[in-house]
Amino acid sequence: MDPLSTALKVAATGLTAQSERLRIVSENLANAQSTGQTPGSDPYRRKTISFAAQLDRPSGTSFVEVAAIGHDRSDFPIEYQPGNEAANDAGYVKMPNVNVLIEMADMREANRSYEADLQVIKQARELISMTIDLLRSQQ
Amino acid sequence: MQVNLFDLATKQAQWLSVRQSAIAGNIANVNTPGYHALEVEPFAKVLDGNRVAMQATQPNHLVGGAGAEAVAVRSREEQGAAVLPSGNSVVLENELIDAGDVRRSFELNTAIVKVFNRMTMLASKG
Repeated sequence: MDPLSTALKVAATGLTAQSERLRIVSENLANAQSTGQTPGSDPYRRKTISFAAQLDRPSGTSFVEVAAIGHDRSDFPIEYQPGNEAANDAGYVKMPNVNVLIEMADMREANRSYEADLQVIKQARELISMTIDLLRSQQ
Repeated sequence: MQVNLFDLATKQAQWLSVRQSAIAGNIANVNTPGYHALEVEPFAKVLDGNRVAMQATQPNHLVGGAGAEAVAVRSREEQGAAVLPSGNSVVLENELIDAGDVRRSFELNTAIVKVFNRMTMLASKG
C-alpha cells in the first residue's frame, strides 16, 4: 500500500485511540461523586487507559491501539457525611478516587493529540490531491 | 550525464510520502509509553542507493521502508531532555514542523513536474 494511504490509516488509529481516552475521561468525570449504595461500600473507582504501538508489518509503520483499560488502585478519600446512605457507623463516606484537575489535564492532552492527528489527515489528503492535480489542466 | 527529472521527482515524491507516514506514526503514538520517534533517512542517502534495509518484526526494530522498499525508516537518535518519563521520545512541535516541511517540498515537487511536463509537451508539439 502506498505510504500516503498508510499515513491516513495511522492517523485514523490515533483518532480512535484518543477518542477512547476522551470517553474514559468523561466516565471518570461523570462519576466523580458516585458513592456506594450500602454503608461502608466502595465508591466508583477511577479508570485508566494506556496505549501501545502496534507494528503494521506490510507497511512497516506503527499503528496505535488501546493496550488496556485499567483501574486506579489508589486509596479512596474519606469525607464526613453522616446523612449519606453509604456512610459507615462513624459517618464517613468513601469518595471516588477521581481528581477533577487531573481529568481536565488529561482531557486537554487528548484534545491536543486529536487535533494533531486531524492535521496529519488533512495534510495527507492535500498531498494526494496535489499528486492527482498533475493529471489535470495540462494541454 | 543526463539527469532523468521525472525519475528523480518520482523518487523524491515517494521519499516524501514515506516521511509523511513516519510523521503520522509518530503523531499517532504521541501518548504511547516507551515509543521511540521514527525518522526517515535523508534523501541524499536514498539517491546513493547502496544501503541495507532490514525487515522489522517489532515496533522497536529498525524498520525497512513503508511499502517503498527503497526508503529505510529508523529510530531517531534521542536528545536526552526530549524523552518523557514514560519513555516516549516524540516532540509534537518538531513533528508538525517536519510535516510542514514535507508539504512545502511536495508542493515544489509537483510544481516542477508540471512545468517539466509542459516543457516536454511544448517540445514535442513544436
